Amino acid sequence: MKRILVIDDAATVRLYHRGILESAGFEVSEAVNGLEALERLAEGPFDLYLVDINMPKLDGYGFLRELRAKDIPQAPAIMVSTEAEDNDQRLAYACGANLYLIKPAKPAQLLAHVQTLLGERHPS
Amino acid sequence: MGLKKSHDAPTAGPDERRLPRDLPGLLTALDDPDPLARRWAARDLAQYPESSHALVERLGRETEPSVTAVILTSLTLIGDEIAVAGLTECLRSEDAMLRNAAIEAMKQLPEEVAPWMGRLLEDPDPDVRIFAVDVLESLRHPQVEEWLIRVITQDAHVNVCATAVDLLGEVGSERATPALLALKQRFADEPYIQFAADLALKRISAD
Repeated sequence: MKRILVIDDAATVRLYHRGILESAGFEVSEAVNGLEALERLAEGPFDLYLVDINMPKLDGYGFLRELRAKDIPQAPAIMVSTEAEDNDQRLAYACGANLYLIKPAKPAQLLAHVQTLLGERHPS
Repeated sequence: MGLKKSHDAPTAGPDERRLPRDLPGLLTALDDPDPLARRWAARDLAQYPESSHALVERLGRETEPSVTAVILTSLTLIGDEIAVAGLTECLRSEDAMLRNAAIEAMKQLPEEVAPWMGRLLEDPDPDVRIFAVDVLESLRHPQVEEWLIRVITQDAHVNVCATAVDLLGEVGSERATPALLALKQRFADEPYIQFAADLALKRISAD
């Protein structure tokens, strides 16, 4: 079973993403900010990261920078944010995001992107 | 980036606080090239409410995170209108760390921030409105539920409403129920709003 780490400071958003991903058969872990997400890495490798940008302590950009600098097997990361500005998207990709989605993500859209990044579905 | 109300900072060496500790000396030190001198000046200026304008002005130019943190702490301790105005301007910053620190600082000033909240929640920039809702998260003020109900009733931006409805699930009472039901109708095609509003309604009815 593929493991996904959902990183968001909003409990409702985590619950929403968890429901979508678990309904498609993924195992989901949660972290409330980038710092906690880095600690979760000790639990073993994740197959994908779903990352919010604006979080206290360590934001999504900071998490991705630190994640990509680590000598561990790397996995795709989707940044999910309310920020629609080009600058935010550019920065997300520069930090190591594989995809940038604007919140709120629709279930079918999110699952399609997750499955594509995990190689379970060919991009349409 | 902690914001302490106390003054229990470590002892400074002689060079770090070499300028006079009166208001003119501290204002000079606030522009010192040495970040350590600026940090100590920012800390000591907390006892001079008339320095809030200079602290706000420095906040806009400061590049050293440790100095920024101390400026925010001093502005929180001063808490006058200029200080709060300076903190609210930080919500427009592209610097996420500064923005988050300002949000945390504002949460500690419920009475001082309250007069600004109406304007912040009607700001033309939806990001500022989202950050204003974030401030409400732990702002201990009797109007919080009323502000949130107003947001989900009036705001046209889905993410502003989404942020507010998340919070209403935690702090809302039965007073919020009609607004939550109306929100579900207004954003009938947004699965997240349906999910979050249903969750909030469930939590409210369980209380």
